[in-house]
Amino acid sequence: MTALLTLAVLATLLGGTLFAVALDRAYLPLLALFTRQRVETEAPDRLNRDLAPAWYLALAAIGIAVVPFAPDLALIDSPVGIVIWGSCEALIVLTVFLHGWSPNAPFPLIGAYRYAAIGLPVMLPSMFVLIAAALPAESLSLVAIVDSQREVWNVIRQPLGLPLFMVVALAMTLRGPMDYADAADIATGTSAEDSGAGRAVWQIARLAMLVSVSAIAATVFLGGPLGPVLPGPVWLWLKTGALMALTVWIGNRVARTTPSRMLTILWVVLLPLSFLHLLISGLIAL
Amino acid sequence: MTDLMIALLTAFAVWTGWRVFRVDSMVRASFALMLSFVAVGAIGVLLSAPYIGVATVFMMAVEMMVMAIFMVMFMMNPAGLNPMVMVHQHRLSIGAGIVAFIGLSAAVLLSPLPSNPVAADTDVVAQLGHELLGPSMLIFETAGVTLLATMVGAVILSSRQGRFGSADEGSRPPGLTEGGDPAGRQPEGGGGHGHHHHEGH
Repeated sequence: MTALLTLAVLATLLGGTLFAVALDRAYLPLLALFTRQRVETEAPDRLNRDLAPAWYLALAAIGIAVVPFAPDLALIDSPVGIVIWGSCEALIVLTVFLHGWSPNAPFPLIGAYRYAAIGLPVMLPSMFVLIAAALPAESLSLVAIVDSQREVWNVIRQPLGLPLFMVVALAMTLRGPMDYADAADIATGTSAEDSGAGRAVWQIARLAMLVSVSAIAATVFLGGPLGPVLPGPVWLWLKTGALMALTVWIGNRVARTTPSRMLTILWVVLLPLSFLHLLISGLIAL
Repeated sequence: MTDLMIALLTAFAVWTGWRVFRVDSMVRASFALMLSFVAVGAIGVLLSAPYIGVATVFMMAVEMMVMAIFMVMFMMNPAGLNPMVMVHQHRLSIGAGIVAFIGLSAAVLLSPLPSNPVAADTDVVAQLGHELLGPSMLIFETAGVTLLATMVGAVILSSRQGRFGSADEGSRPPGLTEGGDPAGRQPEGGGGHGHHHHEGH
Protein backbone atom coordinates (compact mmCIF):
# COMPACT_ATOMS: atom_id res chain seq x y z
CA MET A 1 0.00 0.00 0.00
CA THR A 2 2.78 2.40 0.98
CA ALA A 3 4.72 1.48 -2.16
CA LEU A 4 1.65 2.10 -4.30
CA LEU A 5 1.04 5.46 -2.60
CA THR A 6 4.70 6.44 -3.06
CA LEU A 7 4.36 5.62 -6.74
CA ALA A 8 1.16 7.68 -6.98
CA VAL A 9 2.84 10.66 -5.28
CA LEU A 10 5.87 10.50 -7.59
CA ALA A 11 3.64 10.05 -10.68
CA THR A 12 1.58 13.07 -9.62
CA LEU A 13 4.70 15.17 -9.17
CA LEU A 14 6.07 14.08 -12.55
CA GLY A 15 2.76 14.43 -14.42
CA GLY A 16 2.08 17.76 -12.74
CA THR A 17 5.54 19.04 -13.66
CA LEU A 18 4.94 18.08 -17.30
CA PHE A 19 1.60 19.92 -17.14
CA ALA A 20 3.40 22.94 -15.68
CA VAL A 21 5.96 22.77 -18.50
CA ALA A 22 3.06 22.81 -20.96
CA LEU A 23 1.44 25.77 -19.15
CA ASP A 24 4.72 27.68 -19.37
CA ARG A 25 5.42 26.43 -22.95
CA ALA A 26 8.96 25.60 -21.82
CA TYR A 27 9.64 22.17 -23.41
CA LEU A 28 12.33 23.18 -25.91
CA PRO A 29 14.25 25.69 -23.76
CA LEU A 30 14.46 23.13 -20.93
CA LEU A 31 15.62 20.28 -23.17
CA ALA A 32 18.20 22.50 -24.86
CA LEU A 33 19.76 23.37 -21.48
CA PHE A 34 20.81 19.78 -20.81
CA THR A 35 23.11 19.82 -23.83
CA ARG A 36 24.86 23.08 -22.92
CA GLN A 37 28.16 23.10 -21.11
CA ARG A 38 28.52 24.61 -17.65
CA VAL A 39 29.98 28.05 -17.10
CA GLU A 40 31.94 28.63 -13.90
CA THR A 41 31.93 31.73 -11.73
CA GLU A 42 34.95 32.85 -9.69
CA ALA A 43 35.26 31.19 -6.25
CA PRO A 44 31.69 29.87 -5.91
CA ASP A 45 30.36 27.86 -2.97
CA ARG A 46 30.28 24.61 -4.98
CA LEU A 47 28.35 22.53 -2.46
CA ASN A 48 25.40 24.91 -2.26
CA ARG A 49 25.48 25.85 -5.93
CA ASP A 50 25.20 22.20 -6.97
CA LEU A 51 22.73 21.18 -4.25
CA ALA A 52 20.28 24.14 -4.26
CA PRO A 53 18.24 22.79 -7.24
CA ALA A 54 18.14 19.34 -5.60
CA TRP A 55 16.90 20.83 -2.31
CA TYR A 56 14.22 22.82 -4.11
CA LEU A 57 13.07 19.62 -5.85
CA ALA A 58 13.21 17.66 -2.57
CA LEU A 59 11.07 20.28 -0.80
CA ALA A 60 8.50 20.00 -3.61
CA ALA A 61 8.49 16.22 -3.09
CA ILE A 62 8.05 16.54 0.70
CA GLY A 63 5.26 19.07 0.14
CA ILE A 64 3.25 16.74 -2.06
CA ALA A 65 3.95 13.75 0.20
CA VAL A 66 1.85 15.25 3.02
CA VAL A 67 -1.16 15.80 0.72
CA PRO A 68 -4.00 13.27 1.26
CA PHE A 69 -4.77 11.39 -1.99
CA ALA A 70 -7.98 9.91 -0.60
CA PRO A 71 -10.11 11.25 2.30
CA ASP A 72 -8.04 9.36 4.90
CA LEU A 73 -4.90 8.39 3.02
CA ALA A 74 -1.66 10.40 2.86
CA LEU A 75 1.89 9.16 2.30
CA ILE A 76 3.15 11.12 5.30
CA ASP A 77 0.05 10.99 7.51
CA SER A 78 1.43 13.24 10.22
CA PRO A 79 -0.66 14.81 13.02
CA VAL A 80 1.18 18.05 12.13
CA GLY A 81 1.03 17.82 8.32
CA ILE A 82 0.36 21.50 7.88
CA VAL A 83 3.40 22.42 10.00
CA ILE A 84 5.54 20.16 7.79
CA TRP A 85 4.39 22.20 4.80
CA GLY A 86 5.15 25.38 6.77
CA SER A 87 8.71 24.12 7.33
CA CYS A 88 8.98 23.42 3.60
CA GLU A 89 7.99 27.03 2.88
CA ALA A 90 10.61 28.38 5.29
CA LEU A 91 13.26 26.10 3.77
CA ILE A 92 12.28 27.23 0.25
CA VAL A 93 13.19 30.83 1.17
CA LEU A 94 16.51 29.55 2.45
CA THR A 95 17.15 27.39 -0.61
CA VAL A 96 16.46 30.25 -3.02
CA PHE A 97 18.75 32.47 -0.94
CA LEU A 98 21.54 29.88 -1.05
CA HIS A 99 21.00 29.42 -4.78
CA GLY A 100 21.62 33.13 -5.28
CA TRP A 101 24.39 33.41 -2.69
CA SER A 102 26.49 30.45 -3.81
CA PRO A 103 27.68 31.56 -7.30
CA ASN A 104 29.53 34.55 -5.75
CA ALA A 105 28.24 36.96 -8.39
CA PRO A 106 26.36 40.30 -8.18
CA PHE A 107 23.00 39.62 -9.86
CA PRO A 108 22.34 36.29 -8.12
CA LEU A 109 23.23 37.89 -4.79
CA ILE A 110 20.85 40.82 -5.37
CA GLY A 111 18.13 38.30 -6.24
CA ALA A 112 18.93 36.29 -3.10
CA TYR A 113 18.65 39.26 -0.74
CA ARG A 114 15.56 40.64 -2.46
CA TYR A 115 13.90 37.26 -2.16
CA ALA A 116 14.85 36.82 1.49
CA ALA A 117 13.44 40.28 2.29
CA ILE A 118 10.16 39.47 0.49
CA GLY A 119 10.01 35.79 1.46
CA LEU A 120 10.13 36.32 5.23
CA PRO A 121 7.04 38.61 5.42
CA VAL A 122 5.26 36.26 2.98
CA MET A 123 5.68 33.48 5.58
CA LEU A 124 3.52 35.35 8.09
CA PRO A 125 0.22 35.57 6.12
CA SER A 126 0.90 32.00 4.99
CA MET A 127 1.05 30.75 8.58
CA PHE A 128 -2.08 32.64 9.64
CA VAL A 129 -4.00 31.37 6.61
CA LEU A 130 -2.96 27.77 7.28
CA ILE A 131 -3.71 28.04 11.01
CA ALA A 132 -7.14 29.48 10.13
CA ALA A 133 -7.79 26.41 7.96
CA ALA A 134 -6.83 24.17 10.89
CA LEU A 135 -9.38 25.84 13.21
CA PRO A 136 -12.60 24.20 11.89
CA ALA A 137 -10.77 20.85 11.72
CA GLU A 138 -9.46 21.30 15.30
CA SER A 139 -6.31 19.57 14.08
CA LEU A 140 -3.03 20.34 12.31
CA SER A 141 -3.35 17.17 10.25
CA LEU A 142 -4.16 17.65 6.56
CA VAL A 143 -6.32 14.51 6.62
CA ALA A 144 -8.45 16.10 9.36
CA ILE A 145 -8.56 19.39 7.42
CA VAL A 146 -9.90 17.54 4.37
CA ASP A 147 -12.39 15.76 6.60
CA SER A 148 -13.63 19.08 8.03
CA GLN A 149 -14.59 20.23 4.51
CA ARG A 150 -17.17 17.51 3.84
CA GLU A 151 -20.07 19.96 4.32
CA VAL A 152 -18.56 23.12 2.90
CA TRP A 153 -15.12 23.85 1.43
CA ASN A 154 -12.79 26.26 3.18
CA VAL A 155 -12.72 28.48 0.09
CA ILE A 156 -16.37 29.41 0.87
CA ARG A 157 -16.14 29.28 4.66
CA GLN A 158 -12.91 31.35 4.74
CA PRO A 159 -13.11 33.53 1.60
CA LEU A 160 -9.86 35.44 2.21
CA GLY A 161 -7.81 32.27 2.60
CA LEU A 162 -7.25 31.21 -1.00
CA PRO A 163 -6.48 34.71 -2.37
CA LEU A 164 -3.89 35.23 0.40
CA PHE A 165 -2.43 31.78 -0.21
CA MET A 166 -2.12 32.52 -3.94
CA VAL A 167 0.35 35.27 -3.02
CA VAL A 168 2.34 32.65 -1.12
CA ALA A 169 2.12 30.26 -4.09
CA LEU A 170 3.48 32.92 -6.44
CA ALA A 171 6.33 33.65 -4.02
CA MET A 172 7.20 29.97 -3.49
CA THR A 173 7.32 29.27 -7.25
CA LEU A 174 9.15 32.55 -8.08
CA ARG A 175 6.44 33.76 -10.42
CA GLY A 176 5.07 37.02 -11.80
CA PRO A 177 4.33 39.70 -9.20
CA MET A 178 6.20 37.81 -6.42
CA ASP A 179 9.27 36.85 -8.44
CA TYR A 180 11.92 38.92 -6.70
CA ALA A 181 14.54 36.16 -7.00
CA ASP A 182 14.74 35.20 -10.68
CA ALA A 183 13.17 38.24 -12.35
CA ALA A 184 14.17 39.65 -15.72
CA ASP A 185 14.90 43.11 -14.25
CA ILE A 186 18.06 41.73 -12.59
CA ALA A 187 19.05 39.44 -15.48
CA THR A 188 17.17 36.42 -14.02
CA GLY A 189 18.64 37.02 -10.56
CA THR A 190 19.61 33.90 -8.64
CA SER A 191 19.82 31.86 -11.85
CA ALA A 192 21.80 34.48 -13.77
CA GLU A 193 25.01 32.45 -13.49
CA ASP A 194 23.32 29.04 -13.83
CA SER A 195 24.08 27.07 -16.95
CA GLY A 196 23.62 23.64 -18.46
CA ALA A 197 21.95 20.87 -16.51
CA GLY A 198 22.06 22.79 -13.21
CA ARG A 199 19.95 25.55 -14.75
CA ALA A 200 17.52 23.02 -16.21
CA VAL A 201 17.09 21.25 -12.85
CA TRP A 202 16.43 24.57 -11.10
CA GLN A 203 13.73 25.45 -13.64
CA ILE A 204 12.21 21.97 -13.34
CA ALA A 205 12.22 22.29 -9.56
CA ARG A 206 10.32 25.60 -9.88
CA LEU A 207 7.67 23.83 -11.94
CA ALA A 208 7.54 20.86 -9.53
CA MET A 209 7.05 23.32 -6.68
CA LEU A 210 4.07 24.76 -8.56
CA VAL A 211 2.50 21.27 -8.41
CA SER A 212 3.15 20.90 -4.66
CA VAL A 213 1.96 24.33 -3.60
CA SER A 214 -1.17 23.96 -5.77
CA ALA A 215 -1.86 20.50 -4.31
CA ILE A 216 -1.57 21.96 -0.80
CA ALA A 217 -3.91 24.82 -1.73
CA ALA A 218 -6.37 22.36 -3.27
CA THR A 219 -6.27 20.28 -0.07
CA VAL A 220 -6.62 23.16 2.35
CA PHE A 221 -9.19 25.26 0.49
CA LEU A 222 -10.92 23.09 -2.13
CA GLY A 223 -11.50 19.90 -0.14
CA GLY A 224 -8.63 17.99 -1.78
CA PRO A 225 -9.79 14.49 -2.78
CA LEU A 226 -13.44 15.14 -1.81
CA GLY A 227 -16.00 15.11 -4.63
CA PRO A 228 -18.84 13.07 -6.13
CA VAL A 229 -18.63 10.16 -8.63
CA LEU A 230 -14.91 10.30 -9.51
CA PRO A 231 -12.32 8.69 -7.21
CA GLY A 232 -10.39 10.87 -4.73
CA PRO A 233 -7.05 11.16 -6.55
CA VAL A 234 -8.80 12.31 -9.75
CA TRP A 235 -10.54 15.13 -7.87
CA LEU A 236 -7.21 16.10 -6.32
CA TRP A 237 -5.55 16.16 -9.76
CA LEU A 238 -8.36 18.25 -11.27
CA LYS A 239 -8.31 20.80 -8.45
CA THR A 240 -4.50 20.94 -8.41
CA GLY A 241 -4.40 21.41 -12.20
CA ALA A 242 -6.96 24.21 -12.03
CA LEU A 243 -5.01 26.03 -9.31
CA MET A 244 -1.74 25.57 -11.28
CA ALA A 245 -3.35 27.15 -14.33
CA LEU A 246 -4.72 29.98 -12.17
CA THR A 247 -1.28 30.61 -10.63
CA VAL A 248 0.40 30.67 -14.04
CA TRP A 249 -2.33 32.98 -15.38
CA ILE A 250 -1.99 35.44 -12.47
CA GLY A 251 1.79 35.25 -12.80
CA ASN A 252 1.58 36.24 -16.45
CA ARG A 253 -1.10 38.92 -15.95
CA VAL A 254 -0.12 40.87 -12.86
CA ALA A 255 2.80 43.30 -12.97
CA ARG A 256 5.59 43.25 -10.43
CA THR A 257 6.16 46.34 -8.33
CA THR A 258 9.40 47.53 -6.70
CA PRO A 259 10.62 45.43 -3.73
CA SER A 260 10.23 48.34 -1.29
CA ARG A 261 6.62 48.92 -2.31
CA MET A 262 5.91 45.18 -2.15
CA LEU A 263 7.37 45.12 1.38
CA THR A 264 4.94 47.88 2.38
CA ILE A 265 2.06 45.97 0.81
CA LEU A 266 3.08 42.78 2.63
CA TRP A 267 3.52 44.32 6.08
CA VAL A 268 0.82 47.00 5.98
CA VAL A 269 -1.93 45.39 3.91
CA LEU A 270 -1.58 41.60 3.68
CA LEU A 271 -0.42 40.94 7.26
CA PRO A 272 -3.35 42.82 8.94
CA LEU A 273 -5.66 41.23 6.36
CA SER A 274 -4.46 37.78 7.42
CA PHE A 275 -5.00 38.72 11.10
CA LEU A 276 -8.54 39.72 10.20
CA HIS A 277 -8.96 36.46 8.30
CA LEU A 278 -7.78 34.46 11.30
CA LEU A 279 -10.15 36.37 13.60
CA ILE A 280 -13.17 35.84 11.32
CA SER A 281 -12.33 32.17 10.76
CA GLY A 282 -11.89 31.67 14.50
CA LEU A 283 -15.24 33.27 15.30
CA ILE A 284 -16.99 31.17 12.64
CA ALA A 285 -15.29 27.99 13.88
CA LEU A 286 -16.53 28.69 17.43
CA MET B 1 16.04 1.13 14.16
CA THR B 2 14.88 4.28 16.00
CA ASP B 3 17.96 4.04 18.25
CA LEU B 4 20.26 3.89 15.23
CA MET B 5 18.50 6.86 13.60
CA ILE B 6 18.78 8.89 16.80
CA ALA B 7 22.49 8.02 17.09
CA LEU B 8 23.13 9.08 13.48
CA LEU B 9 21.13 12.29 13.85
CA THR B 10 22.97 13.11 17.07
CA ALA B 11 26.32 12.59 15.35
CA PHE B 12 25.15 14.82 12.48
CA ALA B 13 23.96 17.51 14.92
CA VAL B 14 27.33 17.49 16.72
CA TRP B 15 29.30 17.53 13.47
CA THR B 16 27.33 20.44 11.97
CA GLY B 17 27.53 22.23 15.31
CA TRP B 18 31.31 21.87 15.17
CA ARG B 19 31.30 23.12 11.56
CA VAL B 20 29.70 26.39 12.75
CA PHE B 21 33.04 27.36 14.26
CA ARG B 22 35.26 25.96 11.52
CA VAL B 23 33.67 27.48 8.39
CA ASP B 24 34.88 30.89 7.28
CA SER B 25 31.69 32.80 6.53
CA MET B 26 28.66 34.06 8.42
CA VAL B 27 26.20 32.53 5.95
CA ARG B 28 27.83 29.10 6.13
CA ALA B 29 27.96 29.29 9.94
CA SER B 30 24.25 30.22 10.18
CA PHE B 31 23.15 27.39 7.94
CA ALA B 32 25.46 24.83 9.57
CA LEU B 33 23.81 25.78 12.87
CA MET B 34 20.42 25.36 11.20
CA LEU B 35 21.34 21.85 10.00
CA SER B 36 22.33 21.01 13.57
CA PHE B 37 18.91 22.14 14.81
CA VAL B 38 17.15 20.29 11.98
CA ALA B 39 18.81 17.08 13.18
CA VAL B 40 17.63 17.84 16.74
CA GLY B 41 14.11 18.47 15.36
CA ALA B 42 14.18 15.10 13.60
CA ILE B 43 15.16 13.45 16.90
CA GLY B 44 12.14 15.19 18.45
CA VAL B 45 9.89 13.64 15.78
CA LEU B 46 11.39 10.21 16.48
CA LEU B 47 10.75 10.71 20.21
CA SER B 48 6.99 11.12 19.54
CA ALA B 49 7.06 14.91 19.83
CA PRO B 50 6.00 15.68 16.24
CA TYR B 51 4.90 19.25 16.82
CA ILE B 52 8.02 20.31 18.71
CA GLY B 53 10.25 18.51 16.20
CA VAL B 54 8.70 19.95 13.04
CA ALA B 55 8.23 23.38 14.59
CA THR B 56 11.97 23.37 15.46
CA VAL B 57 12.79 22.90 11.77
CA PHE B 58 10.35 25.66 10.81
CA MET B 59 11.52 28.14 13.45
CA MET B 60 15.21 27.48 12.84
CA ALA B 61 14.88 27.88 9.07
CA VAL B 62 13.26 31.31 9.48
CA GLU B 63 15.53 32.30 12.34
CA MET B 64 18.79 31.38 10.63
CA MET B 65 17.68 33.17 7.46
CA VAL B 66 17.08 36.31 9.55
CA MET B 67 20.33 35.74 11.44
CA ALA B 68 22.36 35.38 8.23
CA ILE B 69 20.87 38.62 6.89
CA PHE B 70 21.48 40.52 10.14
CA MET B 71 25.01 39.21 10.60
CA VAL B 72 25.94 40.06 7.04
CA MET B 73 24.25 43.46 7.46
CA PHE B 74 26.35 44.40 10.50
CA MET B 75 29.61 42.84 9.28
CA MET B 76 32.32 44.37 7.13
CA ASN B 77 31.98 41.47 4.72
CA PRO B 78 28.76 42.18 2.86
CA ALA B 79 28.42 39.05 0.78
CA GLY B 80 29.63 36.67 3.47
CA LEU B 81 31.73 34.81 0.92
CA ASN B 82 35.08 36.38 1.86
CA PRO B 83 36.96 34.25 4.39
CA MET B 84 36.93 35.40 8.00
CA VAL B 85 37.81 33.86 11.36
CA MET B 86 34.71 32.77 13.24
CA VAL B 87 36.22 32.32 16.72
CA HIS B 88 37.42 34.87 19.25
CA GLN B 89 37.97 35.19 23.03
CA HIS B 90 39.50 31.70 23.04
CA ARG B 91 40.10 31.28 26.78
CA LEU B 92 36.68 32.53 27.82
CA SER B 93 34.87 30.40 25.22
CA ILE B 94 36.82 27.25 26.09
CA GLY B 95 36.01 27.81 29.77
CA ALA B 96 32.34 28.50 29.05
CA GLY B 97 32.20 25.43 26.82
CA ILE B 98 33.64 23.13 29.49
CA VAL B 99 31.31 24.52 32.18
CA ALA B 100 28.26 24.14 29.92
CA PHE B 101 29.27 20.58 28.97
CA ILE B 102 29.76 19.52 32.60
CA GLY B 103 26.52 21.22 33.64
CA LEU B 104 24.42 19.64 30.91
CA SER B 105 26.03 16.21 31.37
CA ALA B 106 25.35 16.40 35.10
CA ALA B 107 21.73 17.35 34.38
CA VAL B 108 21.34 14.37 32.05
CA LEU B 109 23.01 11.89 34.41
CA LEU B 110 21.51 13.11 37.68
CA SER B 111 17.90 13.89 36.77
CA PRO B 112 15.46 10.96 36.76
CA LEU B 113 14.46 10.48 33.11
CA PRO B 114 11.06 8.86 32.46
CA SER B 115 11.21 5.61 30.53
CA ASN B 116 7.53 4.89 29.91
CA PRO B 117 6.91 4.84 26.14
CA VAL B 118 4.00 6.91 24.84
CA ALA B 119 1.09 4.78 23.62
CA ALA B 120 0.74 4.95 19.82
CA ASP B 121 -2.79 6.42 19.93
CA THR B 122 -1.98 9.23 22.40
CA ASP B 123 -2.94 12.66 21.08
CA VAL B 124 0.40 14.25 21.96
CA VAL B 125 -0.15 17.43 19.93
CA ALA B 126 -3.44 18.22 21.67
CA GLN B 127 -1.85 17.48 25.07
CA LEU B 128 0.99 19.89 24.28
CA GLY B 129 -1.55 22.55 23.26
CA HIS B 130 -3.50 22.15 26.52
CA GLU B 131 -0.24 22.35 28.49
CA LEU B 132 0.98 25.49 26.67
CA LEU B 133 -2.33 27.33 26.97
CA GLY B 134 -3.14 25.95 30.40
CA PRO B 135 -0.66 25.49 33.28
CA SER B 136 2.32 26.87 31.30
CA MET B 137 0.46 29.84 29.85
CA LEU B 138 2.22 32.47 31.99
CA ILE B 139 5.73 31.29 31.01
CA PHE B 140 4.70 30.87 27.39
CA GLU B 141 3.09 34.30 27.09
CA THR B 142 5.89 36.04 29.02
CA ALA B 143 8.46 34.61 26.63
CA GLY B 144 6.28 35.59 23.67
CA VAL B 145 5.81 39.21 24.75
CA THR B 146 9.51 39.53 25.64
CA LEU B 147 10.49 38.29 22.18
CA LEU B 148 8.02 40.67 20.55
CA ALA B 149 9.44 43.61 22.53
CA THR B 150 12.97 42.57 21.48
CA MET B 151 11.94 42.44 17.85
CA VAL B 152 10.28 45.86 17.97
CA GLY B 153 13.39 47.23 19.69
CA ALA B 154 15.73 45.70 17.09
CA VAL B 155 13.68 47.14 14.24
CA ILE B 156 13.63 50.61 15.84
CA LEU B 157 17.39 50.51 16.53
CA SER B 158 18.23 49.42 12.99
CA SER B 159 15.85 51.89 11.33
CA ARG B 160 17.43 54.70 9.40
CA GLN B 161 14.54 57.09 9.93
CA GLY B 162 14.11 58.60 13.34
CA ARG B 163 12.50 61.47 15.23
CA PHE B 164 15.75 63.46 15.05
CA GLY B 165 16.58 62.80 11.40
CA SER B 166 18.57 60.15 9.60
CA ALA B 167 20.47 57.70 11.83
CA ASP B 168 23.55 57.86 9.60
CA GLU B 169 23.71 61.67 9.42
CA GLY B 170 27.30 62.78 9.86
CA SER B 171 28.56 59.24 10.35
CA ARG B 172 31.75 58.15 8.59
CA PRO B 173 32.74 54.60 7.73
CA PRO B 174 35.93 53.28 9.38
CA GLY B 175 39.23 53.50 7.52
CA LEU B 176 40.35 50.80 5.15
CA THR B 177 43.77 50.78 6.85
CA GLU B 178 44.63 51.72 10.44
CA GLY B 179 44.20 55.51 10.70
CA GLY B 180 43.62 55.73 6.94
CA ASP B 181 40.95 57.47 4.91
CA PRO B 182 37.35 56.38 5.48
CA ALA B 183 36.00 53.76 3.11
CA GLY B 184 33.22 54.56 0.69
CA ARG B 185 32.32 57.78 -1.11
CA GLN B 186 33.97 60.99 0.07
CA PRO B 187 31.59 63.87 0.83
CA GLU B 188 31.99 66.66 -1.72
CA GLY B 189 33.14 70.10 -0.57
CA GLY B 190 30.69 73.04 -0.23
CA GLY B 191 27.59 71.38 1.19
CA GLY B 192 27.20 68.79 -1.57
CA HIS B 193 23.44 68.31 -1.50
CA GLY B 194 22.58 71.51 -3.41
CA HIS B 195 21.88 69.79 -6.71
CA HIS B 196 19.86 66.85 -5.38
CA HIS B 197 16.47 68.45 -5.89
CA HIS B 198 14.63 65.13 -6.06
CA GLU B 199 15.43 64.20 -2.45
CA GLY B 200 12.46 66.26 -1.24
CA HIS B 201 12.50 67.09 2.47
